[in-house]
Amino acid sequence: MNIIVCMKQVIDLEQIRIKPNTREPVIEGLPLLFGDFEKCALEEAIRIKEVHGGKVTALAVGSPKLRDTIKEALAMGADEAIILIDPIFQDSDAMGSARVLARTIEKVGEYDLILLGDSSADEYSGEIPPRIAELLNLPQVGFVREIEVVADNDQMSEPKKIRVARDMEDSLEVIEVDLPAVIGVTSELNTPRLAPLSAILKASRKPMHEWRSDDIGVTAEEVGARASVVEMLSNLAPIQDRKGIIYQDVEEGVIEVIKALQQEGVLTQ
Amino acid sequence: MEKVEFVVVGAGLSGLAAAMVLAEAGAEVLVVERGDYPGSKNVTGGRLYLGPIRAYLPDLWEDAPLERRVVKERLTMIAPKSSITVELSSERFRQPPYPSYTLLHATFDRWFADQAMKRGALVIPGYKVDDLIMKDGRVAGIVSSGDEIRANAVVAADGALSFMAEKAGLRKPHVAKNYAVAAKEIIELPPQVIEDRFGLENDEGAAQLFFGSLTQGVHGGGFLYTNRESLSIGLVFALQDLMDKSNSKSSEELPSLSPNGLLETFKNRSEIRPLIADGHSVEYSAHIIPEGGFRAIPRLVTDGMLVVGDAAGFTLNMGVTVRGMDFALASGVMAARALLRAREQADFSSSGLSYYETLLKESFIWEDLKTFQHMPDFLANPRLYERYPSMACDLLEQLMWIGEGSKEKFSTTLVRTIRQSLLRVGVLKDLFMIRKI
Repeated sequence: MNIIVCMKQVIDLEQIRIKPNTREPVIEGLPLLFGDFEKCALEEAIRIKEVHGGKVTALAVGSPKLRDTIKEALAMGADEAIILIDPIFQDSDAMGSARVLARTIEKVGEYDLILLGDSSADEYSGEIPPRIAELLNLPQVGFVREIEVVADNDQMSEPKKIRVARDMEDSLEVIEVDLPAVIGVTSELNTPRLAPLSAILKASRKPMHEWRSDDIGVTAEEVGARASVVEMLSNLAPIQDRKGIIYQDVEEGVIEVIKALQQEGVLTQ
Repeated sequence: MEKVEFVVVGAGLSGLAAAMVLAEAGAEVLVVERGDYPGSKNVTGGRLYLGPIRAYLPDLWEDAPLERRVVKERLTMIAPKSSITVELSSERFRQPPYPSYTLLHATFDRWFADQAMKRGALVIPGYKVDDLIMKDGRVAGIVSSGDEIRANAVVAADGALSFMAEKAGLRKPHVAKNYAVAAKEIIELPPQVIEDRFGLENDEGAAQLFFGSLTQGVHGGGFLYTNRESLSIGLVFALQDLMDKSNSKSSEELPSLSPNGLLETFKNRSEIRPLIADGHSVEYSAHIIPEGGFRAIPRLVTDGMLVVGDAAGFTLNMGVTVRGMDFALASGVMAARALLRAREQADFSSSGLSYYETLLKESFIWEDLKTFQHMPDFLANPRLYERYPSMACDLLEQLMWIGEGSKEKFSTTLVRTIRQSLLRVGVLKDLFMIRKI
């Protein structure tokens, strides 16, 4: 089974700091890595390949840093990587990004399954899987936390279906989907492997293709800032209005806290 | 089994400098770093002296993310309830090439790793090297989580406690007296506030060192450096002294004797409080510092391995200045040059790598460490932290104090102070000791 995994490099969320005076996140200079969602998608692809054979292709759009970031995907077990780096892709909205990915997938051509994170760890818009499915005219299931390949009666032929469990928060919806399909996965799907050091060294010898807009036939009218219809108005941390009062004495403190909470209207008198 | 030409253990300044020079010459080099990113496990007080290393890494500094160039040096003697500060401001510090800059590892090391990677080095964070591959008594590679990577030679750049050097048999197990422990905090303040509080102009910085009875009788030093938008403040304690004092205190007092507890108390001193007021603490860290000096340097070369930077004990506390990062960078470059020569001759045995020691012994690192080899003994003197700062502070306080009633003659105060504090056998010994440093 040929599986394409779309991956997005995001800043290391654990290292984001908030400027106390402006509430702006400080993101300059932070390392870029793959988020948990995309690693789960890749892990699942590798596991399916290990059982059913085929090929796993990692696909990513991003900044030149991607040339380093993508090595992790190859080290984990992707057979091949395609990275898309072009200034005209910058500041795409979700539609633009989906278009770049869909065109690339079309160019790759041979695929049975497209796996990707249901949302990205940084923007979490969740738009990419359905948009890609729409552009490629494929079935799509999101919030997937279990994937099972449905074996054909004839063992020799390629599987044509998968069965997925979709997380509905208080229940699981089990769906059978015909392949090829687009599947958006959650981080409950699996625990991604940590590639051993030697695999990282081997990764630099695996095939990695770098494509630009010309290679997939997209123009600046279709993607990037010019095509973007979504405008980000602000990106600020929520206001934390803490009083910062410390009561030293436990006995008196409890009474003081109750009094203060009553004054704030949190507790009724 | 995978094989590379060279493995560098640790993406600190020495390791990255070595990797950068090796990669630039076309060698295949892998840097393995246990932290999540280069610099994540590193702690510096905060200042890099560029003077000694410009010759080793000439084209690096133009775009380097350095913080502020230091134009103002302060030295503060601390007594329990008073202090004396000497401030040196010099036009010489204000003229290029600037002698020293403050820096933050979290920003600088990441940038430095990028420079090494641009030149072809492979820097992999998030992996710990657990062991060395030994083959026929020589170092032949590394082991990480059971995964073996072979190499022609390994550079041990794994910091103050260098387990690599120990595993290769280059050093004995650690002794506390050769180490100091530091606790540090980074406090954010707007650039304008920093410049106002320290009397600085744009991009200018100040460095302040403290010594004396900083807190609760534990001997040590303190530092305060101005970064672009933050202050680095910290304390450094002789590990042995801290351990002795902790053991002699009752268990109730113990918690406050942690380096971080002592730093909290220090920040509350009236000398410090207004400098950091309204600042946000954004980072806490603690680290071990090698302070054994020249006599604590381990063997630096064995078959298939070199030791650089903190791992080699290349730091120098001269009381009025503290250094380490310049030594780390230069030793990394020297290690790389030695490895490149060994590569030409295809001889990575200890004699093939001995050019590293030759380079070191001709360099400022060896000269400075040797010149100041008695510094650790001098700085271990308790009078330096208790009697002298207290005496100096008390004397000035008495001379300057105008209270009720009449004032005694200066000479009377002076003579009494000298008689009480300086006419001691220990003081004569200390004077004698000064000749050695």
